[in-house]
Amino acid sequence: MANEGDIVANILVVEDDKDLNNAYCIILESQGYTVESAYDGQEALDKLEHFNPQLILLDLLMPIMGGLEFLQRFDLKIHPDVKVLIFTNMENSPEVAESYRLGAHRCIIKSWTAPHNLARVINEALESEPAKA
Amino acid sequence: MADILPASIQHAQEQRAQAEALFNSIGEGAIATDEFGRITRINPIALGMLGYKERELLGEWFPKKIVALTDQDTPVNLIDRPITKAFLTGKSATEKMFYRKKDGTVLPVIITVSPILLADRPIGAIEVFRDITLEEEVDRMKSEFISLASHQLRTPLSAIKTYSHMLVDGYMGEVTPAQKKSLRTIITATNRMNELISTLLNITRIESGTINIVPKTLKIERACEEVIKELSLAAADKEISMTLSQKGRGTTTVKTDNLILKEIISNLVSNAIKYTNEGGAIRIEVQGRPRDVLVAIHDNGWGIPKASHDQVFSKFFRAQNTVKRETTGTGLGLYLVKGLLERLNGEIWFESAEGKGTSFYFTLPKERRNTAARAASSQK
Repeated sequence: MANEGDIVANILVVEDDKDLNNAYCIILESQGYTVESAYDGQEALDKLEHFNPQLILLDLLMPIMGGLEFLQRFDLKIHPDVKVLIFTNMENSPEVAESYRLGAHRCIIKSWTAPHNLARVINEALESEPAKA
Repeated sequence: MADILPASIQHAQEQRAQAEALFNSIGEGAIATDEFGRITRINPIALGMLGYKERELLGEWFPKKIVALTDQDTPVNLIDRPITKAFLTGKSATEKMFYRKKDGTVLPVIITVSPILLADRPIGAIEVFRDITLEEEVDRMKSEFISLASHQLRTPLSAIKTYSHMLVDGYMGEVTPAQKKSLRTIITATNRMNELISTLLNITRIESGTINIVPKTLKIERACEEVIKELSLAAADKEISMTLSQKGRGTTTVKTDNLILKEIISNLVSNAIKYTNEGGAIRIEVQGRPRDVLVAIHDNGWGIPKASHDQVFSKFFRAQNTVKRETTGTGLGLYLVKGLLERLNGEIWFESAEGKGTSFYFTLPKERRNTAARAASSQK
């Protein structure tokens, strides 16, 4: 479903729920993005050794290493060109506030977001100015 | 006379011994003061809870010696201490606060102070307080459990919703109109389930005091417009009209949390839609007043039976006339709305007549009160 004029970008999907991870990959690949997936924060850090995404779709509550610890280790201050979209079901929570403090670009509530909205939010994030580190 | 006096002294001594035994046998912390608030007596349980020896407290001015703190770890103003209230009003006062122990740690307590009155004049006070550490812990665990359970419930729901949408949107190939209709029913049901989980989460946050308030300067009618837009499909389904108007010329700008404000309006308007017959009308009025902004949501729906008026904001309350006709309500919406408004320092009330309709009114202050005032109000 990729169209001319679509943004070409690499996206890393970090989500422990295999069904959701798979769904996001299908949706984003259909938009023309190159997508890699990881199922926890540690796996995401390993993937980042060889994969350079412009955007990371990050769940917060995951086994082994959660989203907040991933953000602390990855450190967006030294990666100002990477945008992190928090994709969680913990709306209005202290964890979300903390992720903003660690430099997350935006937070989206998973269970409210339809696929076409996910694609739209990602496009908007990629088109926006890089965050000031 | 010589015979009577020793008997009355003995009687007085007996009374005193009884009072002493009674005081010491109270199963909770107890402190007695004179009319100036100086400690005259303290029972062993209070000494144990606060970590003091009796001689360290006797004769000390109670409000100064035993420091009380609010939730925010800031000292409670003298005027807000229950002992002050008891002396000033001549009535007993109950509050939940924290006491600082001798070793510097804090202890959550429920305090009740009763004045000792002689000819309507307070000649002292008795304070009884209970350690509520365990209750607080159980409450925290309950909130944590609901929060985690709600989160876990949402994960499979997200998958159901995402895949249903993907099917409708043709990611897995074409679907027939009939199949699309069924898929949309699944999506609507997952949305309702989501709403219920959101409400539960918000209630847990209110009850545990962890709701996140991000104040921004905004015009209330903008939030109303957005809610009307979001609920327009639900209203259109029942051919209910929704209008928004501004009363007077006062400014309607407030500094408040946009998400919480929308949650409040959304709950009130969706209730109005739910409990109004087809073809009804909902009017939302916004009025800027000198100190606050007033929002009114009027409907010409079923109304609330008079007998139920004092329970409307109670948890799990559903009016009898709604239980019979509408099955989707949780009885949590208005309880949530009231809790959210308290967090924003707002107020809510309503007028309703069965068969004629209901008007809900709420206000939001134009200036947020300072932290101390908020802390004091959250203790009420």
